[in-house]
Amino acid sequence: MNIFNQAFQKNISAAKMFIFFSRLMDRPVFDNQDREIGEIYDIVVKPSQVYPLSHGLIIRKGFPNRKYALIDWKDIEKLDKDEARLKIDKSKIVFGEIHDERKELTLRRDILDQQVVDTHNHKVIRVNDIQLLAVEQALMIAHVDIGTRGLFRRLGFERSVDWAVKIFNPKAKYLSDERLISWKYIQPLTINPVSMTIKIDVPQKNLANIPAADLGDIFLDLNAKHQIALFKSLNLANKTKIFTNIDFKTQHSILNEMNDLEISELLNNIPSDEATDFLEKLPREKTKHILNLIENKYSRRLSQLLGYSGDSAGGLMTTEYIAFTKETTVQSALDQIREFKFKSEPAQFIYIIDETHHLLSATNFRRLILANPQEPILNSAFPKTYFVHLDSSVKEVAYLMEKYKYFAIPVVDESNVLQGIITVDDILSQLISFAWRRLKKIKIIQKI
Amino acid sequence: MKNLKSFWAKTLIFLSVMGPGIITANVDNDAGGITTYSVAGAHFGYALIWSFVPIIIALVIIQEMCSRMAVVTGKGLADLIREEFGVRVTFYAMVVLVFSNIFNTISEFAGIAASAELFGISKYLLVPVCALFVWWLIVKGTYKSVEKVFLAACLFYVCYIVSGFLSKPDWKTVASSSISPSFHFDQAYIFMLIGVVGTTIAPWMQFYQQSSVVEKGIRIENYKYSRLDVIIGAFVVNIIAIFIVIVCANTLFIHGIRIETAKDAALALKPLAGQYCFYLFAFGLLNASVFSACILPLSTAYSVCEGMGWEIGVNRTFKEAPQFYSLYTAIIAIGAAIILIPGVKLVPIMLVSQATNGILLPFVLIFMLLLVNNKRLMGKYTNSKFYNFCTILIILIMIILSLILFITAFIH
Repeated sequence: MNIFNQAFQKNISAAKMFIFFSRLMDRPVFDNQDREIGEIYDIVVKPSQVYPLSHGLIIRKGFPNRKYALIDWKDIEKLDKDEARLKIDKSKIVFGEIHDERKELTLRRDILDQQVVDTHNHKVIRVNDIQLLAVEQALMIAHVDIGTRGLFRRLGFERSVDWAVKIFNPKAKYLSDERLISWKYIQPLTINPVSMTIKIDVPQKNLANIPAADLGDIFLDLNAKHQIALFKSLNLANKTKIFTNIDFKTQHSILNEMNDLEISELLNNIPSDEATDFLEKLPREKTKHILNLIENKYSRRLSQLLGYSGDSAGGLMTTEYIAFTKETTVQSALDQIREFKFKSEPAQFIYIIDETHHLLSATNFRRLILANPQEPILNSAFPKTYFVHLDSSVKEVAYLMEKYKYFAIPVVDESNVLQGIITVDDILSQLISFAWRRLKKIKIIQKI
Repeated sequence: MKNLKSFWAKTLIFLSVMGPGIITANVDNDAGGITTYSVAGAHFGYALIWSFVPIIIALVIIQEMCSRMAVVTGKGLADLIREEFGVRVTFYAMVVLVFSNIFNTISEFAGIAASAELFGISKYLLVPVCALFVWWLIVKGTYKSVEKVFLAACLFYVCYIVSGFLSKPDWKTVASSSISPSFHFDQAYIFMLIGVVGTTIAPWMQFYQQSSVVEKGIRIENYKYSRLDVIIGAFVVNIIAIFIVIVCANTLFIHGIRIETAKDAALALKPLAGQYCFYLFAFGLLNASVFSACILPLSTAYSVCEGMGWEIGVNRTFKEAPQFYSLYTAIIAIGAAIILIPGVKLVPIMLVSQATNGILLPFVLIFMLLLVNNKRLMGKYTNSKFYNFCTILIILIMIILSLILFITAFIH
């Protein structure tokens, strides 16, 4: 790989070490005897690292009967924007008909012109060009270009457009505005034809850092095929996060693609209020089938919740809450909270019940932490606790929560047995749909 | 009892899937289409009715491929062309598409202006009002509400059927001439035939149909309903076209009246078929023109943004999808403004729109054929051999016809 060594010797500035893939595409390829053997078609990369390295070169010859050949990267003598030179003889290159059934990631087939997920800006984008960095003996994917300038470069107009823009405004934003996105944020969406999954290059942690609602939005921007493939490729935590943040139609189409084991795994991990929201929209027979797949205890709770009407307190509540009997000491309550694993984020309230689950009172974390660790928990409780009944209306619930500034309110049945809690976010989404019937307007509000 | 229940369940699914095929097919009967069919009926009587039978078949086969690609890949046609054939091809295809659709939109606004004159309203009032309405509908609407308006517009095409009945045709002759092809080797007849067939399959239709099926998010298990949607659309649109031919054949052809435009046809109908027939005909023209003036810019903006990777969406705001809305607004503004120029000549505009359609159509059809047979994209849903044979035949015929139209556009 002479070119790279030469570049170092001549002390060419770092900027010159970057090369756009569009500049390499369709350049002629010569063998060691200076005979032209074809043109550069594609580059195969090894996807193991954060920044994948070039691994092979696909060359193409002939028209209209195109033939393709794969050249190992170490057989390349020189590669720049004018031409590629190989170390090997023309006779050693085997051309074949097919080029797009390779399993490895290739630039032209899998990235260029395709849609990818930008995990930094939380968007689905289309790649106009790829910027490669020359490192020792290979090329590394550094950035993808999603800007208009990349588009003009591909069309071969970059210089003329640059020139035209300079005439009108030499300081135009267009000239310095490179919309390059680092590869470490890019998740390609190539579907493996055998496993029908997507290889997650970006660590799942990266995806986990995206707020759940944004992750849902990204997901909805993909087409159905990609949605299913990506969903199958994710870990359970990310699956749960996405599933609870997409619309019913998409949930349904994903569920249709899952087997019973996957369904039970997923639904066992979804908070009860989200699960009932989804289940109550399904046809009755399907709901029954799914309930049978879920863990016994949880499914009984879900079918109970499904019995309440959607806009009553019973339909809105979640059954994930923290409750202790009145004799529990503050210390042991705190210890148990530390050990608990909750499906949903429990609101700051802790409920105090008797042996038969009747609601006695409530306390919050602040009171609990300030209290004497040896005292029973009842001593740290609020002087009075307000609650709603299973059949209370949304308006009643909202009114009480606003009045007493609660983040969550307990729900009890007619004999005062604690059934669940309603958190402020569930009420808020109800109220928003009351106030703005149209989803579109909600979107505008979000942007502001 | 169980059968009845499943029938209703199926009907419900169909109603939820219905839309893209019927809407796309109906836009075929736009201002240009109505003009062509009126002239065909007035000059040749029932002699061209047989050609609608092969047109239905061709329309179903071509549009079915689009809707199959949409359901299987979940991507629009411009998306697929960009991903499989690269940015350069896409860019030039989009440039021609924008160009041809601007001229098509101008002719739709010409249809609005013509119906304004028929109703005795100033076109300087009706054209801007319609342009604003069309713009407002998309910018302020959501996909669901827009589709409902479009489906309602499809219903108004019924007025051509009513006016067909009002003209009291001889149904026996209609039936016999639609079954038995009659072919005349006379130049005017052949050109008319090419005109009738040529207006049936336009490049923008493939883009629009595929995008709207994608936007609806139809799943593969409901695909058979989507196919039904396409078939119904093809039948409905051609039945309406046949009725337009009938109206003109039964009145103008019998009395030997020569016409040039749909407006001439409506005016000539007044003394022959009565006032109601005239008003229905004129209203049909207005409805078709407004409807198409909405869909054409929308489909253009959709395709271009898909191909170039810009944000798309009826469901998004102006700020979120600036290119989409700018393009949409610009095409409507240009279309309406050119019609309002006093003394503008319409014939050259029609010719340019025909010519650009003729250039683009072969490419689009060949791209479609390559894409639909790509195993990597379509899996087991590629075309069968017989289907491919039919498709290639239709494509060849369409290419030859559109090339002839293209060449004659220049000779004239």
